[in-house]
Amino acid sequence: MIKQESMPFGGRADRIAVRCEDVQIAIKKKPILNRVSFDIPVGSLTGLLGPNGAGKSTLMRLLTGLLEPDSGRIDLYGRPAGAERLAELSFLPDRGQLPAHLTAGEWLDLASGLYPDWSRVREAELERELGVHREKRIGALSRGEEARLQLLTCLSREAPLIILDEPFAGVDMISRERIASAVVAEMADGRRTFLIATHDIRELEQLFDRIVLIGDGEILGVHDVEELRTNGRSVESCYREVFS
Amino acid sequence: MPPIRLWTIEDFAIDPSRPLYEQFVEQIRAMIARGELEPGTRLPSVRETAASLRVNPTTVMKTYQELERLELIVTFRGQGTFVTQSETAIRSSRRQMAREAVNRLEETARSLGLTLEQLWELSREKE
Repeated sequence: MIKQESMPFGGRADRIAVRCEDVQIAIKKKPILNRVSFDIPVGSLTGLLGPNGAGKSTLMRLLTGLLEPDSGRIDLYGRPAGAERLAELSFLPDRGQLPAHLTAGEWLDLASGLYPDWSRVREAELERELGVHREKRIGALSRGEEARLQLLTCLSREAPLIILDEPFAGVDMISRERIASAVVAEMADGRRTFLIATHDIRELEQLFDRIVLIGDGEILGVHDVEELRTNGRSVESCYREVFS
Repeated sequence: MPPIRLWTIEDFAIDPSRPLYEQFVEQIRAMIARGELEPGTRLPSVRETAASLRVNPTTVMKTYQELERLELIVTFRGQGTFVTQSETAIRSSRRQMAREAVNRLEETARSLGLTLEQLWELSREKE
């Protein structure tokens, strides 16, 4: 069932940001992930695509070290994943966990002290690009504004691996566009690697260079997106073939 | 500084089931051919273009590389990327595009069992 197409960057081990090998996990005896294996090349923007309940969030929590697999192996840049690797990745969880009583500016001041790799220069640039207003209270932000502030928090750090869980859920169109533009601008120098989980592919279809399809806890395909298009297929048609 | 041309995705008609860079190359080539992108126009950087079109930077890089190979754009280190000033290069690209168009038409004619000339005549024939 697994289709592994050739990798865009030659696939050498030192060019792999994330490698999962036969990862399995059950939560409360319910199997969530079954023999999950895939690679993410350094500098790529990979979409982790699948319907709700496919296991995307669990997989992301495993990558960040917030959970441990029952069996199998997860490597980040050639070394085992785990809580002690948190400094090397920047994670945007699927639900807002920012302190509601602070203003956006107060939160950013706090965050800049929390993260050793925080760049105030990047923070200022991203604040402008994403249109974040410092004086607004977080509790009063719309879903779209909050998503932009979350992304700003993620990208102001210099971590090489960025993991975004459903960055578009419930977000208005203009916020989506600003988020997509910021992500693209961020990866232009090729040093950062992005993994974005979503069940909503339209907004990001043109951004992905690689997609990993996951359904019912299993990997149902790994594709190089330009290779799909060379064969006359779109991300959307591929998604439909696998999931409908 | 010459004028800079900023793009939005609305400037392009994109088919998601064909390689994106191919489509950007075709459509930018056509913009240059019809003079909409004038010789010497400065193009935005890869980063700016990727962000404004919301496509993968690799796609923009491949597009620019291909347009450079076709000698339609030139990059000067530290100054940016520009539409060529060379009329010969633009003329040769237009000729190439004309040939490609005729080839496609010839194929259509062949599929109808006609030559190009016969196809033209037939289409002009009065009822």
